[in-house]
Amino acid sequence: MNKTLLAGLIVTIVMLGASFFGQYFAPHDVTEQIEISYHVDDNGESELIVPPLSPNTSNPFGTDKYGIDMMAKLLAGAKYTIIASITVALVRIVIGGIIGLFLGYLSKDKPGRTSKVPIWNVLNGIPIFIIVWMIMIGVTMNPSASPLTMALILSVVLALVGIPSVASTVKEKTLVIREKQFILSAKSIGAGHWTIIRTHLFPHLKESFLILFVQEIVLILGLFGQLAIFNIFVGGTTMYFDPVEYVSRTNEWSGLIGQARNNLFIYQWILVIPLAAYIIFILGFHMISIGLEKLYKQKFSKYSHI
Amino acid sequence: MTKVAQFTSIIVGILLFVLVFAMFPVVLQPDRMNGALQFHWSQGLSSISDYFKGFEGGQTFSFISGGTELSFWIEIGRSFSVTFTYMIIGAAIGMTIGILLGIYFSVTRAQWMKRLLELTSVLPDFVIVMLLQFLIVFIASETGLVVFQVASFSTDEPAVALPLISTIIIPAIYMIRNVSLHMNLTLTEDYISFAKARGLGKRYIIFYHALPNVLPYVKADLHKFMAILFGNLFIFEYLYNLSGITMLVFSNAFTQEGYQYNLVVNGIFALLLLYALIFAVLKLLVYGWGKVFAR
Repeated sequence: MNKTLLAGLIVTIVMLGASFFGQYFAPHDVTEQIEISYHVDDNGESELIVPPLSPNTSNPFGTDKYGIDMMAKLLAGAKYTIIASITVALVRIVIGGIIGLFLGYLSKDKPGRTSKVPIWNVLNGIPIFIIVWMIMIGVTMNPSASPLTMALILSVVLALVGIPSVASTVKEKTLVIREKQFILSAKSIGAGHWTIIRTHLFPHLKESFLILFVQEIVLILGLFGQLAIFNIFVGGTTMYFDPVEYVSRTNEWSGLIGQARNNLFIYQWILVIPLAAYIIFILGFHMISIGLEKLYKQKFSKYSHI
Repeated sequence: MTKVAQFTSIIVGILLFVLVFAMFPVVLQPDRMNGALQFHWSQGLSSISDYFKGFEGGQTFSFISGGTELSFWIEIGRSFSVTFTYMIIGAAIGMTIGILLGIYFSVTRAQWMKRLLELTSVLPDFVIVMLLQFLIVFIASETGLVVFQVASFSTDEPAVALPLISTIIIPAIYMIRNVSLHMNLTLTEDYISFAKARGLGKRYIIFYHALPNVLPYVKADLHKFMAILFGNLFIFEYLYNLSGITMLVFSNAFTQEGYQYNLVVNGIFALLLLYALIFAVLKLLVYGWGKVFAR
C-alpha cells in the first residue's frame, strides 16, 4: 500500500461515510428553510437575514437562495452521485470486460493492428455526451417518473454507451496476453478454451479491470457534470417557467453545479462548494487509480526477477 | 469488396447513423400519465422521410429560431467560421505545445510538474473552464482589473482569450502525456545509447533520433486527440456563449413547435465536415514535423 493509494482510499471512504451517515449528524435537514427575518439586538443594531446566507457558524457551507442549508443538500445528493457512478462503472466493466475478453480471445487480429477503416473515425466528431443528450433530453424535463427511476434510466443509457470503449480496451489487452508463451504452452499440453480464459487470461487481466473500473468512475463523473451543464441531471430535472430555471430533483452533486452556474459572479459559495466536493471526489478516485498502478508495477517487478 | 464499394458503404453507413441517431428525441418519449418510456418508431421514420421530401421545397434547409424562419445555409456559414477559427487555432497550437512540452516532460527531473499534469488531466473540461472563469472573477474582485472577458455577452464582442486558452490547454494536456510516455519508451532503445556513444548532443539525439520515432504514435492518436477536442467543443461554446455550430444546433433544436430534426441532422453533418477538415490540417502538421526532423 503506497501513500497515493492510501490518501485516495481515505478521501473516498470519508466521502462515502459522510454521504450515507452524515445526515444523522448534520445540523440542518434538507427540508428546513431559513425564512427572511429581521432582528434588533440590545445595542439597537438591526440585522436583516435574507437567504442565500453566506457560510457562517450555523450553516458552515451557507444556504441557497431558498434558505436551504448547502451541507444538507450535498449530503442528500451524494448518494445518487456515488451509487450511480459506481453502478454504471461496474456494469460497463462486467459486460464490456466479458465482451472484450471473448472478442480478444476469438479474434484473428494481431495486437496493435486495427482493421478498422479510418473513415469510421469521423464519428469521433460526435461525442458520447451528445448521444446521451439526444436520448435523455425528451425524457428528463419535469418527468412524472420518480427520481430513482430517472436515475436508473440515465444509468442504463450511460452504461450502454460506455460498453464499446471498455470492450475494445479489454480486447487490446487480451490480444497482447494471448500471444504470451504461457498461453502457447498451456495450449500445447491440451488446455481447453475455457481453462485458458479462466486460469490464464482472466488472472492477468484482473488488475487491469480494477484500474479500468476506477478510471471509468472518473469518466462517468465527468459525463454527469457535462450533462448537468446542459440541464440534464441524475434523477431528472424540474423545470420552472417564468423565469426559466432548472433545478435538480435529487440535489445530486453535478446537478447542484449545473443549476448554480449563474452564481459565478455573486453568491459564489452556491457554486464553489458543490464544485469543490465534486473535484475532491474525482481526485480521490484518481489517486486510487494511480496508487493501484504503482502497486501492481512493484508487484510485477518483484516477480520478474525470480 | 472493392475499395470504392467499401468506401461508399461506409459513407452511407455514417449518413444512416446520423439520421437514425438524431431521431431519438422524437422516438423516445415518456408517457405523460405514469412516466413509462414509450417508443414512437413511426414518428422517427416519418421525420426521416420528411427530411428527404424537404429537399425540393427547401424546408430541409430552413429552421425556426425564436419565432423567425432562417435559412440554414446563411446561418451555418457564420457559425461554422466561428467554430472553425477557435478549433483550428486550438488544435494547431495545442498540438505544437503538447509535443514540445511532452518532450520536455520526458527529460525533466521535476516530479512535481508531472504530478500537477496528472492532476489537471483528470479534471473534466467544464471544471477547468469554470476554474478559469473563477480566476478571472477573483482577480477582478481583488484588483478591479478584468484581465479577460469571462464569456461573450454579444456576438459583436466575443470572448477571445479564455476560449482559446481552454481549447489549447485541454487537448495539449493529453498530447503532453502521450508524447512524454512514448518519448520515455523511445529513449530506452539501443539506438539512443549508440547515438550517445558516438558523442552526439542531447538535443540532437532527442530531436533527430527519438522524435521521428515518436511521431507515428502521435499520428495514430490523432483521432483520440480530435475526440477530446470535439467533446469539449460543446462545453466551450455553451459556457463561453460563443455563437458556433453547436450553439446554433442545440439552442434551436427545441422550439415552441417541437423538435427540429432537420436542423440537428444538418448541424451534425456540418460537425463531421469540420472534423474531417481539422483532421486533415493536423495530419499535415504532423507530416511537417516529420519532414523537419527527418535525417
